[in-house]
Amino acid sequence: MKRTVSLLLCLIMLLALCACGGQTAAPAAETTAPSAAPVEETAAQPEADALVVDTVILKEADDNMINTYSLLAVNPEAPFADADGNAVSDVALNTVGAEALINWLLSEEGEQAAANYGFDDYGEYLFYLKDDRPVSDAEIPQATEDTKLIRLSTTTSVNDSGLLGYLLPMFEEKYGYEVEVYSAGTGKAIANAKMGNADLILVHSKKQEEAFVEDGFSYVLEGMPSERLSYMYNYFVLCGPSDDPAGVKDAEDVLAAFRSIADGKYCFISRGDGSGTHTKELALWPEELGITAEPESFADYTDWYVSANAGMGACLVMAEQMHAYILTDKATFLTFVANDGVMA
Amino acid sequence: MGTALQKAAALIFSADRELLNILGTTARVSLSSSVIALLIGVPIGLWLGACRFRGRSAMIVLNRTLMGVPPVVCGLLFYLLFSGVGPFRHLKLLFTVKLMIIAQVALITPIVIGNMETYVADIAPALTETAKGLGFGPGKRFLLLLNECVYPIFSVYLLAFARAIAEVGAVSMVGGAIAWKTNVMTTAIMQYTNMGNFTLAIALGMILMALSLLVNVVLSLLQRRLSR
Repeated sequence: MKRTVSLLLCLIMLLALCACGGQTAAPAAETTAPSAAPVEETAAQPEADALVVDTVILKEADDNMINTYSLLAVNPEAPFADADGNAVSDVALNTVGAEALINWLLSEEGEQAAANYGFDDYGEYLFYLKDDRPVSDAEIPQATEDTKLIRLSTTTSVNDSGLLGYLLPMFEEKYGYEVEVYSAGTGKAIANAKMGNADLILVHSKKQEEAFVEDGFSYVLEGMPSERLSYMYNYFVLCGPSDDPAGVKDAEDVLAAFRSIADGKYCFISRGDGSGTHTKELALWPEELGITAEPESFADYTDWYVSANAGMGACLVMAEQMHAYILTDKATFLTFVANDGVMA
Repeated sequence: MGTALQKAAALIFSADRELLNILGTTARVSLSSSVIALLIGVPIGLWLGACRFRGRSAMIVLNRTLMGVPPVVCGLLFYLLFSGVGPFRHLKLLFTVKLMIIAQVALITPIVIGNMETYVADIAPALTETAKGLGFGPGKRFLLLLNECVYPIFSVYLLAFARAIAEVGAVSMVGGAIAWKTNVMTTAIMQYTNMGNFTLAIALGMILMALSLLVNVVLSLLQRRLSR
């Protein structure tokens, strides 16, 4: 009896081991999978190795795909409300710290640092400064015990691109502040600020920013033109499989490209998470499709429209797997390609 | 797979500062939360298992329900309670390690209670008889019971620790996965996956598994020695 039980146990453990092995091996398989499909059409270069990422940038630098990042300080007098909608008046915010960080980011030093970011790592600039950006020459106070901790709520694309990891240490070292970065999709990042958990936000969704201002959650800093301080931008890029079945590359502009994807029902991965990228994508579909953030709006398109509800990197992997089109910010795409080379 | 292994090894041996920080936070959170949960849960579990009183079955059912609370729900609850607009906002605990520990204690304690209760309910009748025969008071009876439970307590602790170190829903909600502060192994793995950096994610996963193995081996040895 005992022997059979122990034998059974061994068998179960072996099975579990196999299952684990299969699971951990899966990501490795992902890198080889993409190479399988291009094989047919890359007969000319038979030794195309597993490192190749099939997803390529098909459309970029289109004015419709401009991606503007804005800074907003959170107003301590904002109409904060708890989960039940009851007003909350004494929300503790570090306005001094938030203003110091904004003034530094908009100072000559901060702006130049942001503009130069990415060249050393990727050979191209990832963020550009707007011509009509607000510039600050305000005196930045040194941190005190009370104002030391600054809570910045931002989008994953800013954080994942490594921009903040590059900028913030300069600011922290010089003035003694400590910046805590909370990163989530724009929708969640803004919701986090509305719950009184952030002193400032850095996001990229004009519509949601304007709603934030309209609701009274932001205020005008001294010497600044408005609540929304849009100061840098880059471009979203439309990526897809290199053989481009929808002919996106030859499309007149990005709107035409999206139309041809929808017309041909080519697989498209949507972030589907209320992020800035998601919001931008929703604005690019032909209007008569009526695709919005509501799940009902694309219920009829589920055979080609995939609402992934995941981060940018995860969606890119999905697009690679499914030979799908995808809208992404350029920084994350470049990181993705760079990483994929190391993965195999 | 090979590169992930190499990368994991390289990561460990490079003693990357951020990795050490993540490891430290992970250890702090999962060890303290599992120990606290054990300290709270074991006495309650013994009491529920050994004593007969009105409302006992209701409490057991309630506890079993709590055992199944999804971590994200627990995380959401604590996020709302300690948020800048929540009722406990003045404590300023959101996005701190302390709140991560509190949330995990809330998550794990029912599991400790439930497991202790199940074990104790099984052995309590016989033990109570013996204790009565020997003329023990309630205090001594409790100690006798505790003495009988050394072995399951270790098992329950391992269960609690496993739940704590593997858990991601609650800690990412209340901790916010802030670098250098509240980022633990599981949230870091999630972050790297979202960025598409699978190799690093797998490497971290391997380190996590190795850590878990280490703790399990040490505690299992201790368990065998103590309960002999």
